[in-house]
Amino acid sequence: MSFKYGLEIIALLAIIGFCSLFLYTSSIMSDAEFAGSDTVGSSQIAELTGKAEEDYQPLIGQWVPPSGEIESALFALQAAIGGIFVGWVFGYWKGQKKTA
Amino acid sequence: MEGFLPWQWCVVWWIIALPCLVFGIYQLKKILETDRDALPLLGVTGGFIFILSSLKLPSVTGSCSHPTGTGLSVICFGPWITSVICAIVLLFQSFFLAHGGLSVLGANIVSMGVVGPLAGYAVYRALRNTQINMYLTVFIVCALADLFTYFTTSLELALAYPAPAEVGGVMSSFVLFMGIFAITQVPLAIVEGIVLALVFKYIVQLKPDILLRLKIFPEEKIRAARGEA
Repeated sequence: MSFKYGLEIIALLAIIGFCSLFLYTSSIMSDAEFAGSDTVGSSQIAELTGKAEEDYQPLIGQWVPPSGEIESALFALQAAIGGIFVGWVFGYWKGQKKTA
Repeated sequence: MEGFLPWQWCVVWWIIALPCLVFGIYQLKKILETDRDALPLLGVTGGFIFILSSLKLPSVTGSCSHPTGTGLSVICFGPWITSVICAIVLLFQSFFLAHGGLSVLGANIVSMGVVGPLAGYAVYRALRNTQINMYLTVFIVCALADLFTYFTTSLELALAYPAPAEVGGVMSSFVLFMGIFAITQVPLAIVEGIVLALVFKYIVQLKPDILLRLKIFPEEKIRAARGEA
């Protein structure tokens, strides 16, 4: 790497590019719902088979989050668990390096 | 996507997933017995799978999808251990989020934890000892592992729901599902690849000895990346 922060800059540019791409598509596609691709896939299956989406039930019953808010809270929890691991290990390594 | 896969297919994917998991657990035990320092690295790579697979991001197609984050773990520990971490994440999602269920877990493990990582691993092995920049390798591996996960999901659905034979059968269904899942995924895969390459750079800076000991990249490459060459 010829330049010290080359990768950081590329990452930043990619994220900015990704965001502006999103802003651009959401402004030209006024009907875009930004539903999950799972949802789009589900309705595609319903179309292919001619069966209503609601007729598809899990083989093994499962708990479904009562609302979108609760679901997003649980997703945030998942990200937080991952974040704790990552932060803890990087801190651990940094500390190891200092004392070594 | 719970309930959409007919039970016969659920069984098929479980049969493929289980041996991979068993082998992964065996490998995991072995590596942790021989090298306790591998545990933090496992924590970082697994942590990123947790974070990235929970982020649902909007994409150019007007729908949302989430990255997989499996690339780092594939590079550091190989595809089988990655399958085990994916199984844990997917279990969490199916228990608490109704995001994939217990019956389709096998299919999800195959796409996210077996085929995607295997594709990434093949690329990693091919590029590891070449002149290609180390971070570029990480980027390609991560992006491909992500994309192949969604190729596989499309294939799983197309096999279960082929279009009528006169309009192309499984192939035409595959193209259809690819349009939904894989196209949405392309920009996400690129961003994921770049971000994970950056994370790998920090691992190289902070803890190069573990990367050397696990022989993840040739020594000269890691030294060069640290500016010691």
